[in-house]
Amino acid sequence: MNENENNFKDLKNLLKLKRHEVPPPGFFNHFSDGVIARIREGEDGRAGSFAERLNDSAPWLVRFLRVFEAKPGVIGGFATSLCLMLLFGVVLAERSESGPQNFMTASSTSSQADPAVSSPALASATPPDFTVADGGIAISTNASLQPVASVFGQPSGASALFQSASFAPAH
Amino acid sequence: MSEPATTPDPSTPAGMLEGDLVNRARRGDLHAYDELVKRYQERIYATIYHMTSNHEDANDIAQEAFIKAYSALKSFKGGSSFYTWLYRIAVNKTINFLKQRKNKFHLSLNDIDFNAEHDPDLMALISDKTPTRDVGLSELQKKLNEAMLKLSEPHRMVVILHDVQGQSHDEIAEIMGCNIGTVRSRLFYARQQLQGHLAEYIKP
Repeated sequence: MNENENNFKDLKNLLKLKRHEVPPPGFFNHFSDGVIARIREGEDGRAGSFAERLNDSAPWLVRFLRVFEAKPGVIGGFATSLCLMLLFGVVLAERSESGPQNFMTASSTSSQADPAVSSPALASATPPDFTVADGGIAISTNASLQPVASVFGQPSGASALFQSASFAPAH
Repeated sequence: MSEPATTPDPSTPAGMLEGDLVNRARRGDLHAYDELVKRYQERIYATIYHMTSNHEDANDIAQEAFIKAYSALKSFKGGSSFYTWLYRIAVNKTINFLKQRKNKFHLSLNDIDFNAEHDPDLMALISDKTPTRDVGLSELQKKLNEAMLKLSEPHRMVVILHDVQGQSHDEIAEIMGCNIGTVRSRLFYARQQLQGHLAEYIKP
């Protein structure tokens, strides 16, 4: 082995020249900064790759969202239609809650107390909440349509201002 | 009057042991990893540079090797030293790069430092070849790098790790994932090849 080493002595001396090759001055001053910056970029990229993960799991959603890119008119239209749908839903929900209840209470009270409604012909011609007063003017007897005496237990000033209308001819 | 010797503060990354730095870096501490990069950047860069004979490529591959090592730190079991493990990553990256590049070599050599002109062994090699030492060193550098690039990647790597960087056969075997006999035989063959390519610059 030593003989081999001696055979290559000049070659090894020549190879020492490689140790004297140096990068530009200051190269290593910023090398680690570059490495750390690239690592941070990679971490940010991984954290920000939500869109990529979304694209993998729900590509249809990504395609749908891309429709809105740089299209303010489409975005506005979509938002408006969403609002209208929401409003429609709220109104529909309120009607479905209050409508049938009033109808049932009104029909039960009118059929028991109002003799005028006992006639099928009259009942079909006039709403069940109204009675026919003298002179042919219908007056509501439905409690829900009467002025509210108090709101949340407080006396309502509106009741003082309200006066029942009567169109009966004065005697 | 001599200044008191400054010992690095063990609470700072610069004063920490390698194992502590690796553990911190594994938990995502980039300051600790920055210190590890600083400790090994020159050796890793030099190995890659000697393999590629191209500064820009060496810079890119060295950065990628450090980034790859950081992302793979969780898989580092500590069976070998961090340094050896890092070296292995750098060596594999370099060999993969060279395989992709195949034989399209483009030299981008670094300058030779001032100390080379004061190396008697080097001066003995060029003193009777060229009248001007500086020109002689540059020419020798170019011929040496061209001859190195004619070697296969494993042979070149063994010569660089042993004859240029001074690593032992054991370390090289661990880094390259082969046995010591393979390292020795590769080294012998590579030297023979180099001697043939550089015959006119080496005295018989």
